[in-house]
Amino acid sequence: MMIYNLRKAIWITIICIIVFGLIILYSASSQSTRVTQQVFYNQLLFSALGLLAIFFLSRVDYRQYYDFAYLFYGINVLLLIGIFLFGYYALGAKRWIEILGFNFQPSEFMKFSLILALARYFSDHKPKVSFYNPWAKPALISEFIIPFMMTAFPMLLIFKQPDLGTAILVLVIFFVVVFAAGVSARYLACFFGLCVLATPVLWNLMKSYQKDRLMVFLNPNIDPLGAGYTIIQSKIAIGSGQFFGKGWLAGTQNQLNFLPERHTDFIFSVVGEEWGFLGGVALLICFYILIISSLRVVAQTKETFGYLAGIGFVSIFALQVIINIGMVLGLCPIVGITLPFISYGRSSFLVFILMFGFLINLAKKNKIL
Amino acid sequence: MRLKILKIIITCLFGCLVLGLGYIQIIRGSYYQSLGVHNCIRVVPVEPSRGRILDRNGIILADTQVSFDVMVVPQEIKDKDALFSFLSEVLQAKTKTLLNLYQRRKLASFAPVTLAENISRDQAIILEENKFRFSGLLVEVRSKRTYPFREAGAHVLGYVGRVSPERMEKFKSYGYTIEGMTGYSGLEEYYDNFLRGGEGGVQIEVNNRGQQVRLLGMKVAAPGQDIGTTLDARIQQLSQSFLAGERGVIAVMDLDTGEILGLVSSPSFDPNDFLDNAASQRRASYFTDPHAALLNRAIQGQYPPGSVFKIPIAIAALNTKKLNEHTSFICNGFYTLGNRVFRCSHAHGVQDFIQAIAHSCNVYFFHTGLILGPKTMEEYAHLVGLGRLTNIDLPYEEKGSVPRPDALAKRRWSKGDTLNFSIGQGDLLVTPIQLLRMMAVVARDGKDLLPSVIKSIGSNPVRREALMHDINISKVYFEKIKRGMRGAVADEAGTASLLLMNDMIVLGKTGTAQTSGGKSNHAWFVGFCPQTKTRIAFCVFLENGGSSYNACRIASELLREMKKQEIL
Repeated sequence: MMIYNLRKAIWITIICIIVFGLIILYSASSQSTRVTQQVFYNQLLFSALGLLAIFFLSRVDYRQYYDFAYLFYGINVLLLIGIFLFGYYALGAKRWIEILGFNFQPSEFMKFSLILALARYFSDHKPKVSFYNPWAKPALISEFIIPFMMTAFPMLLIFKQPDLGTAILVLVIFFVVVFAAGVSARYLACFFGLCVLATPVLWNLMKSYQKDRLMVFLNPNIDPLGAGYTIIQSKIAIGSGQFFGKGWLAGTQNQLNFLPERHTDFIFSVVGEEWGFLGGVALLICFYILIISSLRVVAQTKETFGYLAGIGFVSIFALQVIINIGMVLGLCPIVGITLPFISYGRSSFLVFILMFGFLINLAKKNKIL
Repeated sequence: MRLKILKIIITCLFGCLVLGLGYIQIIRGSYYQSLGVHNCIRVVPVEPSRGRILDRNGIILADTQVSFDVMVVPQEIKDKDALFSFLSEVLQAKTKTLLNLYQRRKLASFAPVTLAENISRDQAIILEENKFRFSGLLVEVRSKRTYPFREAGAHVLGYVGRVSPERMEKFKSYGYTIEGMTGYSGLEEYYDNFLRGGEGGVQIEVNNRGQQVRLLGMKVAAPGQDIGTTLDARIQQLSQSFLAGERGVIAVMDLDTGEILGLVSSPSFDPNDFLDNAASQRRASYFTDPHAALLNRAIQGQYPPGSVFKIPIAIAALNTKKLNEHTSFICNGFYTLGNRVFRCSHAHGVQDFIQAIAHSCNVYFFHTGLILGPKTMEEYAHLVGLGRLTNIDLPYEEKGSVPRPDALAKRRWSKGDTLNFSIGQGDLLVTPIQLLRMMAVVARDGKDLLPSVIKSIGSNPVRREALMHDINISKVYFEKIKRGMRGAVADEAGTASLLLMNDMIVLGKTGTAQTSGGKSNHAWFVGFCPQTKTRIAFCVFLENGGSSYNACRIASELLREMKKQEIL
């Protein structure tokens, strides 16, 4: 009974989030000079298809992904390499690739396939150190180096596109899955230390606009027209929404075109302006319920592959929500990460559909076992 | 256990988000509210100064100079009538015209509207002094594009203007704004991205009466980069003067590098007119001109090549070994096919291969064309680059057309078509730049080259690259064709004997292409100088210019003048 309720909770919150997202997108695109209302109708169609897709994907036995995990991973890495050869530039970065007339961002799909690949790897090579056997001698290469290589290669490709945000997310995926798999805490601590040491090197590798964004995060007023413009306008929009918001289609910042990128990365600022603190918190609660119910599903899973992949999916979803809203509020740097199910964009939407199809199936299997 | 840690972390982070949201919306809410509701933040754009265009010796072809514009900010206007009557007095324009302009250009209440551009310094001072009396009035210092050589070479340079709505649609994601300037046609369009620089601006916070409360920040406009070209201003001016009153093209290219030294199309236009409000009538006339002054005939005009096409036919004849240089035919001055008579310029008598090129004997090439057959001719036309873009770095290049004998639309290919094809008539159309490239490739014994106008961007030298289509045939064949082309100049009876000079060796091929509709013929001379200081290939084309004699005359004057000025 409990498990059935979890599935219900996941379904209901996803539908709530998508419907709320459509209502917001309608407002964000209604007066825009940058995009037309077409954006809304595209997303409407895509949401409907997406919900159908979740329904059918949830009937696919999640253990089938185990067989294809490495294949997905391999194809995805090839696509990332393909970007360097055949991809095209848009907005200063080489991220998109065209296959059969569709534009893809393989970096988005990498989140999905990397999690599957790591989950399979650790279900095949269970770490020796675990809760049951905390004093076993850990194996550095099989427990840490190999999975790290599996992550580092696609991560570098994504970083070079350049797409700092997704590259960081990929690194965090690694960290979460390794953590959940029960790899020795010593390794994790060392790795964390290395990351901190590598920061200055990373800084030198960054594109100048990425440095700008970090600097502007520290003080948006140094460049209010350039990199700081978005964050200042976004804060004004959210702040001026106050407790009750200005009402649907009534946000002045939104409707007067002050907010750039408001149909994609900055869509939460439209929520804040038009729906106020109430709307913002309501949306956050929806996200929170979805995440916690999914985590519960994962906690009931006994089988390693499903357990690890599930944790990876929930974490990446939670992280995107937190980073996206955090950057819109000016709490963390602008890294170009979408708000799941709400931002306009197909690749990102599709990835989360795949993930939740998987999670719902996981919930179903738990019920049977 | 570890799952629980994850849950705690996520819960904490969500807590932070709720707190952050609460801080901005509830605690600081009224501050942001005041910024937002009153539209208190205004962005005033500052345009970057556009990069210059320089010739190969550093002479300025397109410059950027300071000018003054009058603007008003709609939301700050208090007394509209007083303001506009004052403006009409100072600018000496009708109040009604100004009001119309204002209505048409107004976008949003906070966006400044430009009412007059390029006003005199005196007018600017008067307005500036009275600014405090009329709120909403702005005088902006703006950089203005000037073209010192006016008509000479205008087509290569192009012109600048406001971003049109269609262009906005295409480029808005690259930071173009409706008030900004952008390049149209020529280098101004092709290299716009480098020339335009990045827009800057100041962002200020104003109170609800429109007075500035504080400067939130500013971003300095990034000036555009200068573009160094391969053009030679002297050649451009000479070419322009030789083409005065004519319709046609003069194009000069460095044989060794493919650098375009000169490229002039006539009739031309003055790119300064596009920025001068007083010249609006002349500007409009460019668009309605029956002779299409804005058309760059060198890359967009498509014409039959006439006898110049005998060069690829000659290459085909030698390379397929259907003919050799001793093959002779007798020319009686005409060739009869059924009841149709195809004429030659006059009865040449016995002609061998070399003489036939030198004298441009049609009858000889009728025979050659029938021996080769239309398919082979089509193949060699493509081989020398006809029907294909030269990929010169100028926008809107046309690729002409080569007839396809086995795929005619309405009728079957006849022998008469073959005869016409073999002397460059009929459905064959080429651009002057294609023939120029063809001649250069022949001069280089088949080695392809890429015509380019760009030499440097900013301080970085630029080398363009493209797929090369070398003609891989024996050098011996090229030597024979060159003997024919030298004969055209050096023989007494040669078609281009006007170009025989004692201090310069010129090789080339004339062409007189018939046109339909009773207009006069097109005149061509395409040639090269293999031994000058800078080895050049050149093309002189006169649209409806009569006999090729006229093209030869201009070519010889141009070469003599270039020699005199020590360019060659």
